[in-house]
Amino acid sequence: MAPTKPSVKGKSSSKGDSKGKPLSSGTKVSKKNVKRPPPTEVKSKARTEKSQLRKTKKREYTEEELGLPKLNQITPVGVVKPKGKKKGKTFVDDAEGMRTILAIVNAEKEGQIESKMIKARQLEEIREAKRKEAEARMAEKKSKLEDVKQSIRQKRKHKGDAGESKAAASSSGSSKPKGKKKSVSFA
Amino acid sequence: MRQLTEEETKVCFQKLAHYTGSSLSQLVAPTEDPNERFVFRIHGSRVYYVSERNMRLATSIPRDNLLSLGTCIGKFTKTGKFRIQLTALDVIAPHARYKVWIKQNGLMPYLYGGNVVKGHVGRWSEDCPEHAGVIVMDMNDIPLGFGVTARSSAESRKLDPTAICVFRQTDLGEYLREEDTLFTT
Repeated sequence: MAPTKPSVKGKSSSKGDSKGKPLSSGTKVSKKNVKRPPPTEVKSKARTEKSQLRKTKKREYTEEELGLPKLNQITPVGVVKPKGKKKGKTFVDDAEGMRTILAIVNAEKEGQIESKMIKARQLEEIREAKRKEAEARMAEKKSKLEDVKQSIRQKRKHKGDAGESKAAASSSGSSKPKGKKKSVSFA
Repeated sequence: MRQLTEEETKVCFQKLAHYTGSSLSQLVAPTEDPNERFVFRIHGSRVYYVSERNMRLATSIPRDNLLSLGTCIGKFTKTGKFRIQLTALDVIAPHARYKVWIKQNGLMPYLYGGNVVKGHVGRWSEDCPEHAGVIVMDMNDIPLGFGVTARSSAESRKLDPTAICVFRQTDLGEYLREEDTLFTT
């Protein structure tokens, strides 16, 4: 093998130097002999070269790369099955698998119940606060009403005392309260 | 008859966990006898809880001829949901998360398919939230059925005696009322 390679190389080098010569030469035999080795060399180089690989890569387009609208594809959007996944059902029969699923489900349920309880407690607190507020308002209203009642009673008492004294003192004082009453009724 | 898939197992357990606490894992835990293990099997659309030994024996029966085996837990609907059935009561009752005990006077109304009203409730699990699964029991701790709470236990204290506390889902009366359809495939 070793002796053959240098000879080829020598030939190729000679051709490289004399690229114009074969075109000019008229003999068929000499042309064939000279031409055969170089294409093989070129091919071997081309296969290993990156340019070849790039070409093959360029030919393969994924659907995403093509940028087709999803509704325009052959397989509908929801029906696309994942590649490389085992076909059929995956059964769970071993106790370990069952236990893990159970643990997951239980944890989910606990979380749900916990959140429910927290929510319920918060709502209960809010209701309690509202109820207390309403009670406070009612109490305030009642106290106000009581105050007003008290003040009216006191006024009446005062008026009663004053009326008696006025009646006793002067008879003309009775005309004034009438006037007041009228003004209140019209207003 | 076949094993449940992962998805089916999850859906089934989610429904069971609605009524039971964390002790549900006892169902799949190995029993004292290592040879006696209980498994879940689906036959048609129905799910059965059956001992492994019985399950192996049942494999000798042609699929068309096999009507039932073990304890029926419930059935899968065509949409993939799981409907729990009265027959699962004995399986889930020992592991119940929340319980409602009803008094003697509420026994018949419940067993005839009525909801549980406040006046019939004898006892109630504490800290029970709204819309939680509960096992209904009589005062002698015999499970009668299960349902869903209408109000939380805190709220239901304020209710009047005729207000509904638990919405009935199943009761033992179904063994008679649904006799024709309870075990049909």
